[in-house]
Amino acid sequence: MSAPVSRAAVVAALLRKELKAYSRDKLYVFLTLLTLIAVVVMFRFLPDSVDETLTLAVSPPLATVIEDARGALSAMGVTPEQLAELDEADLATEEGLELVEFEDPSQMSAVIEGRLEAWRGADGELMLRDLDSGDPKPDGADRVDVSVGIAFPERFVADLTASRKVSVKIYSDAGVPGEIRDAVRGIVREVGYGLAGRGLPVTVPDEETVILGEDRSGDQMTLRQKFRPMIIFMVLLMETFSLVSLVSIEVLQRTVTAVLVTPARISDFLAAKAIFGTLMAFGQGLLVALLVGGFNADNWSLMLTVLLLGAMMFTGAALMIGAAGKDFLGQLFYAMGFTVPMIVPTFAVLFPGTAAPWVKAIPTYPIIELMVRTMDYGATWGDSWSLLSYAAAWLAVLFAGGLLVLRRKVATL
Amino acid sequence: MTAPAIQAEGIRFSYGNIEAVRGIDFEVAPGEVLGFLGPNGAGKSTTIKMLTGQLTPDAGTARILGVDARGDVPEVQARIGVCFEEKNLYLNMSAKENLDFFASLFGIKDPDTEGALRRVGLHDRMRDRVSTYSKGMRQRLMVARSFINSPAVLFLDEPTDGLDPVSSAAIRRTIREEARRGAAVLLTTHDMFEADELSDRVAFINDGEIVAMDTAENLKLKYGKRAVKVRLREGAGVREVVLELDGGGSSARLAELASSPDLLTIHTEEATLEDIFIQLTGRGLEG
Repeated sequence: MSAPVSRAAVVAALLRKELKAYSRDKLYVFLTLLTLIAVVVMFRFLPDSVDETLTLAVSPPLATVIEDARGALSAMGVTPEQLAELDEADLATEEGLELVEFEDPSQMSAVIEGRLEAWRGADGELMLRDLDSGDPKPDGADRVDVSVGIAFPERFVADLTASRKVSVKIYSDAGVPGEIRDAVRGIVREVGYGLAGRGLPVTVPDEETVILGEDRSGDQMTLRQKFRPMIIFMVLLMETFSLVSLVSIEVLQRTVTAVLVTPARISDFLAAKAIFGTLMAFGQGLLVALLVGGFNADNWSLMLTVLLLGAMMFTGAALMIGAAGKDFLGQLFYAMGFTVPMIVPTFAVLFPGTAAPWVKAIPTYPIIELMVRTMDYGATWGDSWSLLSYAAAWLAVLFAGGLLVLRRKVATL
Repeated sequence: MTAPAIQAEGIRFSYGNIEAVRGIDFEVAPGEVLGFLGPNGAGKSTTIKMLTGQLTPDAGTARILGVDARGDVPEVQARIGVCFEEKNLYLNMSAKENLDFFASLFGIKDPDTEGALRRVGLHDRMRDRVSTYSKGMRQRLMVARSFINSPAVLFLDEPTDGLDPVSSAAIRRTIREEARRGAAVLLTTHDMFEADELSDRVAFINDGEIVAMDTAENLKLKYGKRAVKVRLREGAGVREVVLELDGGGSSARLAELASSPDLLTIHTEEATLEDIFIQLTGRGLEG
């Protein structure tokens, strides 16, 4: 008998065949390129800055409110010098606050509601445009987005100082977060207390805010940064479909049985599939991570490890799914059934703090969480051991499951 | 005596409660073609699967080149070639790439894939993707794949099933060449003419059991009848007379008919393998 061919030579031959089969399938290549291009283009279109300014509309203009209040304030004992200081105060230059002043509260509510557009000219003048009028957009003007505004009533200050009941309307777009509405309500109350000359009946304690972790005030995470881990993760996930096809086609067309009556063992076949799948997913994940700036001098080794864990995890799942279905539709069903729940933890990334315990039990949770922490919060190896161990445990389960299911399937062909 | 290349002793296999192969024994010598003749579901493919390591027999011994073929035995699989009933080829690869790939699994450094494809008449289209091939071309490629490693033992499962005469002839020619080279060939078929033409011996398999096994000639002699059919002109029509040669006076009667001015033709009435199979099992080969 001739000397048996080495296992390494058999696996290498199988890998060359995998590469050939992958590159020959126009659908795989098209989907792979489409995914890569689409995610990178989408990433580039995401906003790369965060607008931390609160745009607040008021009506009538503050100057009018102060002018109306001048008599009442003088009667309260406010000196002419203090009134002059009030005149000079320019809330519009307050950091983090953009004040948009409307003469008419109905105009303000129409802008917030979206029936009118507000534009600010180069000279600072506010211009309104009726959307139904067909008027052209004002030249050289910038659009002003207003979503919340305060309508002060006439004689606001006079009534306040006379301890008469005053009602202030706050107009808010439906999409404004409750926190912003609460903040505007707080502003109105504070103004009221201040003008009425009544301080809060408590001694306000000195406060010191201690930020745990990286203080990102003034350096908020942009949407692009938030989506970066999700994009890399989605590329890994999408690769699952290609790998499922590579496995299922061998099972459904029974080419695997032809391979297994040669010196190739089933372990060689499984090793080649696992290596090829992992390399494909890892390679694409790496490419996208490089394109979206997922690596830096501090995190590259940890990021590479996380990418490898993710690639292996999805490969293990692909082996299982590829062997599970009896036909292409069945495999598509299983693939969808697997991938949809696996996406859930990525939403927890977009909305930090929302990961419920059941979400944390999903195998992909540690992968996406590690990506976020590594890329966006500078997590180190020391910070990541528990999540790495958790991911490795899930990886072992999925990979072992995938190999077991595929082995059983092949044995029954 | 030459050691058998294939040796099956009492091999059995069941799919759940269904007993597909019920303890069969046979041997195939190097250079010999054994035709496994039987209808669909008789146990032919299951027998091949046991001998090639795809299935492990529930009982009995299967030896290939003297080595127990039970399970995954790479040193045995390095010396065998298998042509499956299903055309399990890589469709997105060319014929040459398919053969090169399988040759690499056998560790063959410079495989003569072009020569192999020339033998089955696919040389002109060896760089075309298999997905563009007809059924007959794919089957010829399957056969070429089965002998790419110059195997000592060839398992051919219905290699000409449903093929056109040209493809069938090319495959039969190749099988003869492989047997002349010294390969032991186990050929399963339900085509009695193919079995008769190619096989040195024929085994009838039915319901998982071998019901008869011998050379085709001996089977015909054993189970067939010796007779001739004489056709004579009679008026405007034709009259047929069947003469049993073993009966008394048949020689004189045959001589009389042969000298008749109305004689048209004389044919031997040899039994076909299918006749014998029906006689032995009560069912036809196409069943």
